Amino acid sequence: MRSITKLSLVVAALVLTGTALQAQSNNASITATASVQTPINVVGAQQLNFGNVFPGVNKTVAAMDLANAGRFDISGQASTPVTLSFTLPATLGSSGNTMPIVNYAGVHAQNSTQTGGIGFSPSAGASPSLNASGQLWVWIAAQVQPATNQAAGVYTGSIVMTVVY
Amino acid sequence: MKRTWWIVIGAMLLGVPLVAQGKPLTVTGIRDVTFGAVLPGVPRVVLRTDPANSGQFDIKGPKGNVLLSFVFPLSMTGPAGALMPLSFGAGDAGFSQTQAIGSQVGFDPKQPFTATLSNSGRGSVFLGATANPATNQRAGAYTATIILNVTVLP
Repeated sequence: MRSITKLSLVVAALVLTGTALQAQSNNASITATASVQTPINVVGAQQLNFGNVFPGVNKTVAAMDLANAGRFDISGQASTPVTLSFTLPATLGSSGNTMPIVNYAGVHAQNSTQTGGIGFSPSAGASPSLNASGQLWVWIAAQVQPATNQAAGVYTGSIVMTVVY
Repeated sequence: MKRTWWIVIGAMLLGVPLVAQGKPLTVTGIRDVTFGAVLPGVPRVVLRTDPANSGQFDIKGPKGNVLLSFVFPLSMTGPAGALMPLSFGAGDAGFSQTQAIGSQVGFDPKQPFTATLSNSGRGSVFLGATANPATNQRAGAYTATIILNVTVLP
């Protein structure tokens, strides 16, 4: 009787072992792949330069003025559209004195000579494309309006351009 | 004593058929998750219903329930060890008994999921994901490995 009990336990164990072995597992893998394109690089290449300004006399620099308009040089992924947006100061400052800067204008072109350039309003931004070499040039111009009693001095302000794909 | 051993051997043989009665479980990686060209700063989403770019695993085994669980990387690795974050949303995985991308049941790939293989013991898992490149993400090719574990449930 005792040997039958032992035998039953052995049989039960073996059957249970067999059942447990039924829990099959397996796995496989796949790969996620991506090709990241060239990041955008922006350089403030030339200052927007009003030169000498006289009190009470407005002075305008045109966007087509290659010598004095502000210029940003952009590089990135070839032939890819980008979005330009700007932070534009309302005044220039000098030792606590301010001078209004208004009437911003811009041109973007796929070459540094503005051939085929397209005008735009910097306050509205623009969506040009980089050229086949991944380059774009942007010029910014404006007008300063010194008061008749404008204090003498060097006035500056920062124009910030943000470029995203 | 001799009779005892015959009974033990019989029990062992009984155990073997129990193991062998189901089909063997196989899992195969069919298609990679492909993001293609990705622009720095612009997230790229691949949907699990995308027939060209979503990931796909095929499963064969005994008909019935299986438990699916993924092992996910947090990021993809690129040139000089550069990393690009990779994320998986709650609806980024889908299971199809008919192995058709158009008839999936969505599930959260970050949670174990019980799926039922078809009567012929087949099923497919489809997977979407999102690549999140930084604005200054280094250019180049990025890869990561995604593992699907499958366990047959009793």
